[in-house]
Amino acid sequence: MKGFLEYVPGDSLLHRMNPVAKLAAAFLLVIACFATSNLALLALVIVLDAVLAVQCKMVSQTLGLAKAVALFSLVLALIALLFTPQGDVLAQLPWGYIGTESVAAAVLIVVRLVACAVPLFLVFYVTKLTDMANALVKVLHVSYKYAFTFMSTVHFIPVFMNDMAGIMEAQTARGVEFDGGFLKKIRLMMPLCVPLLVSSVRKTNSAAIAAEVRGFNLRTRESGFKEYPFAGIDFAALVAAATIAAAAVALNVLL
Amino acid sequence: MIEISQLSFRYREGAEPILQGIDLTIPDGSFVGITGAAGSGKSTLTYAFNGIIPHCYPGDFYGSVTIDGLDTCEASLTDISRLVGSVCQDIDSQMVSSVVEDEVLYGLENFGVPKDQVEGRIAEALDAMGISDLRHRGIAELSGGQKQKVAVASVIALKPRVLVLDEPTAELDPASSLAVFELLARYARENGTTVIVVEQKIALLSDFADMLLIVDGGKVRFQGTPSEVLEHSDELLEIGVNCPRSTSLVNRLRARGLVDAPAARNVDEAVRACKQVLSGKGVSA
Repeated sequence: MKGFLEYVPGDSLLHRMNPVAKLAAAFLLVIACFATSNLALLALVIVLDAVLAVQCKMVSQTLGLAKAVALFSLVLALIALLFTPQGDVLAQLPWGYIGTESVAAAVLIVVRLVACAVPLFLVFYVTKLTDMANALVKVLHVSYKYAFTFMSTVHFIPVFMNDMAGIMEAQTARGVEFDGGFLKKIRLMMPLCVPLLVSSVRKTNSAAIAAEVRGFNLRTRESGFKEYPFAGIDFAALVAAATIAAAAVALNVLL
Repeated sequence: MIEISQLSFRYREGAEPILQGIDLTIPDGSFVGITGAAGSGKSTLTYAFNGIIPHCYPGDFYGSVTIDGLDTCEASLTDISRLVGSVCQDIDSQMVSSVVEDEVLYGLENFGVPKDQVEGRIAEALDAMGISDLRHRGIAELSGGQKQKVAVASVIALKPRVLVLDEPTAELDPASSLAVFELLARYARENGTTVIVVEQKIALLSDFADMLLIVDGGKVRFQGTPSEVLEHSDELLEIGVNCPRSTSLVNRLRARGLVDAPAARNVDEAVRACKQVLSGKGVSA
């Protein structure tokens, strides 16, 4: 696996799609996941996720993400399980009960979050950030300043993570023990945020100057060299994603 | 031509001026090396060439810097950038793209280079830096030396009249440092570009530069051809600039009147000087 949101080269359908189309389709799938409580439809989205992951040759990475999202959503699911007493009683609790619908709600949270995270994850990993930003500027007329800010933010995340790792290594060499409990680690890391912040401000300042001396202020919507035309596959993907989103909304209304 | 007249600069947060009364003339097509101890003001001097001072760092700016008649105080940073290409010290901060090709493309897009010229410019810049094979590689996968070459390629694609580089080999091993300088020198020679490099490795600078500037306490302490400047190896040592041992050796021979060759820039020149001494031909009649 590469660094955070670092482009994974390839020639899959998703790689070749228009950046705006795949981003819009991913967001439509997210809307679909949140608009429905129908497990069958969510299962369909998960199957679609799996097909896309295989197509992009990113199965292991996608499984890793799904696992991480599932673990995170388990916390939310546990809260829903313990504090939303609905349906037939399965177990009594001092403050209420766990019901059949509590279990369904908990399962729904996990399935929904996994289903909606995967399309976004794949889209961001198979699209160069520059293409994403330039396409948003050209097709959706987003201001380049905002697109560049987004691009730079993502670009700097691994840089800052490396800086933090360096600071922690330096502290470890001076006898600070970061091993141990989560809270202890957080407590030891808090003071290190100051040097990290200082170096971050310095780096972002350097980046801004570097961009400016390469003509950042001259950039217009027409500046981008590449064009991002919509092809048949882009329209097809948008129609498919919109259909799933519409079905999700319709199921929510009807059931 | 670059002309600096009575340049002084104090950062807003600084107590003392970091540059003081600098006068300098750099002819077109020169390869200028700038060195000095840490904190001597050499990086700030490069900021004067590319307009970063006074446009990006506020402070008290006195004197003038003109590049081909363009006053850097009056012109915008963007206008200066059309003439002066800059490679910063922190390469990772300079990169805006995830792929080499896009990094080189970035400046070309911003400056509105006609689309039919873009492909040629990218290919030419990558070829000049000897990294055509890296064109489709991710920047995160590259070594420090390769990133440095990408940073230079992304600037030379803009065909600047002047190229300013701040410690371009800071994180490179000697072989990679030499390779970067050789590529720079070749490019500058072929295109008539003026190159201004800040560098700690004085031996490397001496081998490539036509003009060497030694900055100390915000002033240009020594200025001239590398051989002229290296004659002052003892004084250079006092201000924190360590000359190659070969230079010091020949300077000692010169001080004792055993040889009248110019100060040695490298081992080969020192060997020649020593051979002259040993053969008894060191001092011409």
